[in-house]
Amino acid sequence: MYEFNFNRPASVADALAAVADADDGQFMAGGQTMIPVLKQRLAMPSDVVELAKIDDLKGIAVDGGTVTIGAMMTHSEVHNSSDVASAIPALADLAGMIGDPHVRNRGTIGGSVANNDPAADYPAAVVGLGATVVTDRREMAGDDFFVDLFETALAEGELITAVRFPVPDKAAYMKFPNPASRYAIVGVFVSQSGSDVRVAVTGAGPCVFRAVAMETALASDFSADAVAGIFVSGDDFNNDIHASAEYRVHLVTVMAKRAVAKAG
Amino acid sequence: MSKVNIRDSVRRTEDIRFVSGQGSYIDDMNADGQLMGVFVRSPHAHAAINGFDKTDALALDGVVDVITGVDWAELGFGVIPTNSAVKENADGTPIAVPERPCLAAKRVRFVGEPVAMVIAETVDAAREARELVEVDYAPLDAVTHPVKTLEPGAPLLHDGIDGNLCVYWELGDGDATETELAASDHLVTLELHNNRVTAAPIEPRGTLAIPDTETGVTTIYQATQNIHALRAAMAKILGLENDQLRHVAPDIGGGFGGKNSLYPEPVVTVYAARNLCRPVKWVNDRSESFLSDTHGRSQYTTVELGLDVDGTFRALRTTTVGELGAYCGTVGAFTSTGGSARTQGGVYAFKAMHYRARAGFTNTAPLDPYRGAGRPEGSFQIERIVEKAARELGFDPVELRRQNIMPKTSLPVKTAMGLDVDCGDFPTVFEKTLAMSDRAGFAARAARSVEVGKLRGFAIAPYLECTGGMPKEHAVVTFSEDGAAHLAVGSHSTGMGHETALCQILSAELGLDMNYIGFTQADTDATPLGGGHGGSRGMELGGNAVRQTAIEIVEVGKQIAAHQFECNVGEVDFEDGSFFQPGSNNTMSMGEAVAASFNSEALPDDLAPGCLNIGSTFERGIISIPNGCHAAEVEVDPDTGVIDVTDFWIVDDFGTIINPLLADGQVMGGVGQGLGQAILEQAVYDGDSGQLMTGTFLDYAMPRADDMPPMTLDYYEGSPTEKNPLGVKGAGEAGCCGAPPAIVNAVLDALKDHGVTHIEMPMTPEAVWRSIHET
Repeated sequence: MYEFNFNRPASVADALAAVADADDGQFMAGGQTMIPVLKQRLAMPSDVVELAKIDDLKGIAVDGGTVTIGAMMTHSEVHNSSDVASAIPALADLAGMIGDPHVRNRGTIGGSVANNDPAADYPAAVVGLGATVVTDRREMAGDDFFVDLFETALAEGELITAVRFPVPDKAAYMKFPNPASRYAIVGVFVSQSGSDVRVAVTGAGPCVFRAVAMETALASDFSADAVAGIFVSGDDFNNDIHASAEYRVHLVTVMAKRAVAKAG
Repeated sequence: MSKVNIRDSVRRTEDIRFVSGQGSYIDDMNADGQLMGVFVRSPHAHAAINGFDKTDALALDGVVDVITGVDWAELGFGVIPTNSAVKENADGTPIAVPERPCLAAKRVRFVGEPVAMVIAETVDAAREARELVEVDYAPLDAVTHPVKTLEPGAPLLHDGIDGNLCVYWELGDGDATETELAASDHLVTLELHNNRVTAAPIEPRGTLAIPDTETGVTTIYQATQNIHALRAAMAKILGLENDQLRHVAPDIGGGFGGKNSLYPEPVVTVYAARNLCRPVKWVNDRSESFLSDTHGRSQYTTVELGLDVDGTFRALRTTTVGELGAYCGTVGAFTSTGGSARTQGGVYAFKAMHYRARAGFTNTAPLDPYRGAGRPEGSFQIERIVEKAARELGFDPVELRRQNIMPKTSLPVKTAMGLDVDCGDFPTVFEKTLAMSDRAGFAARAARSVEVGKLRGFAIAPYLECTGGMPKEHAVVTFSEDGAAHLAVGSHSTGMGHETALCQILSAELGLDMNYIGFTQADTDATPLGGGHGGSRGMELGGNAVRQTAIEIVEVGKQIAAHQFECNVGEVDFEDGSFFQPGSNNTMSMGEAVAASFNSEALPDDLAPGCLNIGSTFERGIISIPNGCHAAEVEVDPDTGVIDVTDFWIVDDFGTIINPLLADGQVMGGVGQGLGQAILEQAVYDGDSGQLMTGTFLDYAMPRADDMPPMTLDYYEGSPTEKNPLGVKGAGEAGCCGAPPAIVNAVLDALKDHGVTHIEMPMTPEAVWRSIHET
């Protein structure tokens, strides 16, 4: 990797200042994407601002109908949280499907959401549950947060502090992992909250998206059969050595069916 | 632990070192004053080099030297050698061997080919300077497909080599095979691809070269499988004598064939160290490993099987196209010719066989042996065509195999491929495997699969192997006065457990406590010769060398004992670690004999102190013939194409089993690699750009623990071979001979009602799904 200044601030304010003051500062959460990128000399930040020492970015709080997860909570912590497991079991389940144990012990929800890898799992939960992304300066609906391939609505120097999930009536995530990377070739998160149904798809396209036709069908009949005949458009789907767009289209329907069945 | 015996499941003594972080891998080793080297590698699959500019790189702080391809050419050293056992084409003309310089000066032929080395005080400085070495490339058209490269109009890789063809070769009786095929009632044909894979050992390749300016000897620590041969090759390239290089490879993190070859980087590293009079270390990173390690397999094959109306096999013809990559590797042209031909036809009887191969150059990393080196390809070819014949002609696949397997009474036999099959009991091994696999319960399991929307399939795949590798091996035992022994052997473990198994043989032969046997492997100072690792030769060569040395020690020990007993040597016996004179009370333990061996007063006149320190070279005769049978049960999800290998059964005939625990490990590891090839792994090059598409573990799917099936293993031990005194047949590569056809055929069994008759490896979920939905 190239040389850079390394900062470990203890507060959000100090972290923001460190990035603001740097020529090309970058926050680092768990580093599970960033460290390999640095090692391969594909990025050359002047300053890396590590967030691990900031207590305000940690913790899981269940309050009435919401679960708020600090941005620096690792996938393991979310997966093993009894609070998350009892409020939104599908979310705990999803966190346990990410990567491998090493990745889950280091990778964080904030880092995953901010990175917006098209094959990451968490974006499906954020959109699939209608979550709110909380930053140092504002709150954004998950629907508005993920913009495009590795692109989010975060402004320059803006820091995710937490993600707030509403507790659904039921929800489930089904993932078809890439056999090599264990990222999602297709991941489908479904939830039902009253009459509101959400179906969020990750892995298939350049960015997480909602399968609106499936949501409509499920709103009137929340059953696997209701989505069995619905195929999303694969026009902008990923088409690579791991899976063709056509296969991904098929998998979205299969995973949606299975997610609905799993949600019960 | 005390004295142990052959066939004891002695636990691996080296593992405490490995699991506690005390292994000695190249990246762990550092020498005082060491410099760090990195290589500049071609980003192009095919390009002319118009020139280098190293000015900026040399100007960087900490950079000591930059050696470009042009610099290297001016030094006038030799080229990377190839040592294929197949040296001639079918018509007797020599195979085409292009020159491979250690650093390319004028032209690059694959992405990752080294063109320059940067040596600096730190690895960071070296990496930074690497980006400042300017290479003026003029890209050329590339070809990465083994068949397309042999077609007219393909871009040509090497001046003077027509049509990119390295070798065309054949074995067997072409006329007889043609006659038999023509006379067959049924002719079944199958085209198949043996996918290209990479070994991806956990330890990347690396070298630490430490020059001693006083003695002129450079000590080379290297992650390799074969120190003696590589030392000789390096010395020859650099114009040195062998004894100017000491080559050591203490602990190696996996080889699988990928560390057999002499690569360019170690040669340049050794030169740099000698030239700069400072230790130089180079270690590949993972990305470089993917690009520059030799790959394996890669054949496009047509198999033709002729059968009588009752299913009796008459003849087999295999026509294959292999691949060399950009240059000839160390074994090079052999893998897809002789390496794949020898075990053609597997355990079945044929009236005639004919094998034809062509192999050419492509703009890809060179290919060389990968665990099995041709035999897994042969095993896959025969077991796939037999399965296809059964399906196509309406025979039960188990029955068709049973009917054609060579009976025990037909052995020994020389097959139509010239392989000396001396012993074994193929029908018994087959039936034993079948019996383990609970055929009676299959229908119920298949019905349960259907209930959950899955499809279940089963297949059985016997295999024929041949093992031995380099024909000579040396073992030397050195005793201390306290009775402790130290064993050094020239065979080479890259993680297989030789330290345990070879010391176990010595313990068993001499009655020594395992705890008092030290071990050195892979040091050219420790043994005068050594064949390294390759061809599953560890026990067959190394084991027999240890046994032979032990016998010679006992013979000398008898002279010591006879001297003390005051009897004739012929009157002394040796058993369980004790010399004794039957009919008397005279006994002498091995420890006492060792103590006496250092005391000139206790020795007869013709023995000198240290007389029990003995080295001996064992030389094998004909290679041995392991064989066995794999069976797989799979469950396929037709909605996604996902394959779950639910059960796996194996019976192997490795002759004498030295250590069942270690043999199990070899088999299971081989099955892991076979499963990887069958359903996960594939090295993919982009056809246009020649870029490697699978250059990280995000894209190259290695098998993981959760991909592995439960495995039930057993051995057939009724036919120890007489080809070597221990009676062993190599165990290391068998797993990846049996697993791919067993798994692939089981999946096709699961899909038979969908009309699916063939899917290429790797059987990815999409490939399986497409086969179901497009048939």
